[in-house]
Amino acid sequence: MSRVDLVNVLSLARTFRDRIGNAPANLADGPIGDELRGRVVGNLFFEDSTRTRVSFSVAAKRLGAEVIDLTSVGSSTSKGETVIDTAANVASMGVDALVIRHRSSGSAHMIAKALDNLAGSQGGGVLHKPCSVINAGDGRHEHPTQGLLDIFTVADAFKRLKDFDLTGITLGIVGDIGSSRVARSGIAGFAALGARVICIGPPSLVPAAIRTLGCETCHDFDAVLPQLDVINVLRIQFERHEVTAGAAKAENQPAAKSSAAIASIREYTEFFGLTEKRAALLKPAAIVMHPGPINRGVEIASSVADGKRSLILRQVHHGVAVRMAAMALCIGN
Amino acid sequence: MARTLITGGKVIDPATNTVVDADIAIIGDLIAEIGPKLSKLPAEKVIDAGGCLVTPGLIDPHVHLREPGNERAETIASGTAAAAAGGFTSVCCMPNTTPALDTDTMVHFVLARAEQTASCRVFPVAAVSKGRHGQELAELFLMAKAGAVGFTDDGDCIASAGLMARALAAVKATGKVLMQHCQEPTMTRGGVMHAGEISARLDLGGWPRAAEELIIERDVRLNRSVGCAYHAQHISSGGSIDIIRQARKAGMPVTGEATPHHLLLTCDLIETSRYDTRYKMNPPLREASDIAALKEGIADGTITVLGTDHAPHTHESKDVPFDSASFGIIGFETALALYAKALVDDNVIGWSRMIDMMTWQPAKLCGLDRKGLGRLGVGGPADITIIDPTEKWTITEECLVGQSRNTPFMGTAVQGRAVGVVVGGKVKLNRRG
Repeated sequence: MSRVDLVNVLSLARTFRDRIGNAPANLADGPIGDELRGRVVGNLFFEDSTRTRVSFSVAAKRLGAEVIDLTSVGSSTSKGETVIDTAANVASMGVDALVIRHRSSGSAHMIAKALDNLAGSQGGGVLHKPCSVINAGDGRHEHPTQGLLDIFTVADAFKRLKDFDLTGITLGIVGDIGSSRVARSGIAGFAALGARVICIGPPSLVPAAIRTLGCETCHDFDAVLPQLDVINVLRIQFERHEVTAGAAKAENQPAAKSSAAIASIREYTEFFGLTEKRAALLKPAAIVMHPGPINRGVEIASSVADGKRSLILRQVHHGVAVRMAAMALCIGN
Repeated sequence: MARTLITGGKVIDPATNTVVDADIAIIGDLIAEIGPKLSKLPAEKVIDAGGCLVTPGLIDPHVHLREPGNERAETIASGTAAAAAGGFTSVCCMPNTTPALDTDTMVHFVLARAEQTASCRVFPVAAVSKGRHGQELAELFLMAKAGAVGFTDDGDCIASAGLMARALAAVKATGKVLMQHCQEPTMTRGGVMHAGEISARLDLGGWPRAAEELIIERDVRLNRSVGCAYHAQHISSGGSIDIIRQARKAGMPVTGEATPHHLLLTCDLIETSRYDTRYKMNPPLREASDIAALKEGIADGTITVLGTDHAPHTHESKDVPFDSASFGIIGFETALALYAKALVDDNVIGWSRMIDMMTWQPAKLCGLDRKGLGRLGVGGPADITIIDPTEKWTITEECLVGQSRNTPFMGTAVQGRAVGVVVGGKVKLNRRG
């Protein structure tokens, strides 16, 4: 996204956030606007999600939309249906937007292209109206609304909500950068708005090529801590790693927590865990973020995740406003 | 504090490329002064180095101390005593112990044992993979923090290209060196000697040159985009020299190592000695053309590091049929004289270059230069070796200080010997006293 596009979405999100207020939304209060009245949003999640799915649902409902949750779509694909067919079927039922998560990079783009083609074609049984596609995470590629809510949280914390110019702010992203769509969306967005972005972790998790997105890389967490205004902590996505035969058999380490990229969780935490000691080395006004889910005691100490610098739950709060903005721009009245 | 003097020698410091007639004054564990006419200073000990070379303490970047796990063959105490007797003040020990040196706990153990029992400095080179099984990376960062100076699975090759690629990136981030035991395993199953006419005649399993060359070639290629310090251990094949020469010409951080036995012995000795297991090495002894290529590589600066691969074995593990005998040869007490025989006597290089390859170069390889080792500097650690290049002697059982006896050089007449060794200001050897 260009800087102008980013600022457009973020500015609209700011409007919604102001309407909601600074406290979490009280769902019983009903809608805060009618931007999505009469619209139907389908959550099409081929991969597990709690935060993102609920966040999109809440955002849609509070702007007056109806929400259809399609979370066990695996049942169709397991019967041999392609992802495109599943999406086309749902879209044909009159859904205005599909919020899609899939484990393959590029899947949202592919589905969007396919639905565009269907909407343009004539004849019976095809789509009569266009259906928007919102990417809620495609593989390790992108998770745009997470990137946007991270930017919003930083802009809020450093009082840059007016123009979202993040010049002078240094953001560290520590952890499994290579597996992370959150990092990819974040790097691109933060860099476009003028922030300096440093990706931190062992070489196996921080590929040098990630620099092409506009960030620096660093393998020495302790050395860069004093430069950071923001540290965004990511978990190790073991489920996306190659598992070695030896690791699966290793003692005291269940297969789900083993990876060819990491010698041990103990070693990872020793060098890259955000402990209280490390958090104390950050700039005095620095903030701590985490997109969740948190592995407490691994990439971040509980005392830091729950500490004064932590904006982790604020990120979630801002997520609703950002998703309202995304949907309103796509299918708003 | 008491002063020790080394007087009348020719002082060689390869780090600064200087050779001067000078005395050295040591106070405590440091070099206090280097200069002429220090001999008049009051001193508790004086070592007469007349006619001798006074050099930085020799460093052996490739040794097996066998502790823990095979203390009958060698211990940290016995191995380092042998090292000091041979002129070495620092040794880098390999991780193929039992258990393997593959955790920070093990690094701490070796350093603690060395502190208690060693006659010279010991620097652990830790395993690249857990258990040295070549499957998954060991805790390299924790081990580097604990004091490992480099990483290798020595004794076994890192055969998996995927693991090697990850290892190069990780070791590069630690700032240490990755040392490779270059042996493609699927080509060398059952291999106990150089693959050729002699192995065919003797019906012994062949270990071809290509198995070494392929690994070096592959690693150099993998390392192109990484740039990790990469060191090919105990090179046996002339073809490997060409690969390293090209890589270094291209500016890559690649080094190679030569052992005394690969510079002096050939595989025909296995036939003429009728299966003498003392000639069983890994990698194997090869042919005269390989020795010539190794020497050429040393002369033109392709090979910069000398290492003994000191590999002690009990009598029981060597005194068995050739195919089941252990690989390896001891090296500490004999290395200096044997290198002189191979390189100086044969006019490949002179003493100064040879000292450089045994001090400053291995120091840089293992990062010991950052501790002030491998050089003679005022204010630096007093690790010094005094060498009499003219002393003629014969290698006999009595010369061996370590626990094992596995060397085919018994009875060989040689020239040149360490006559004095100072480690951290302490005199560990003084044949002039």
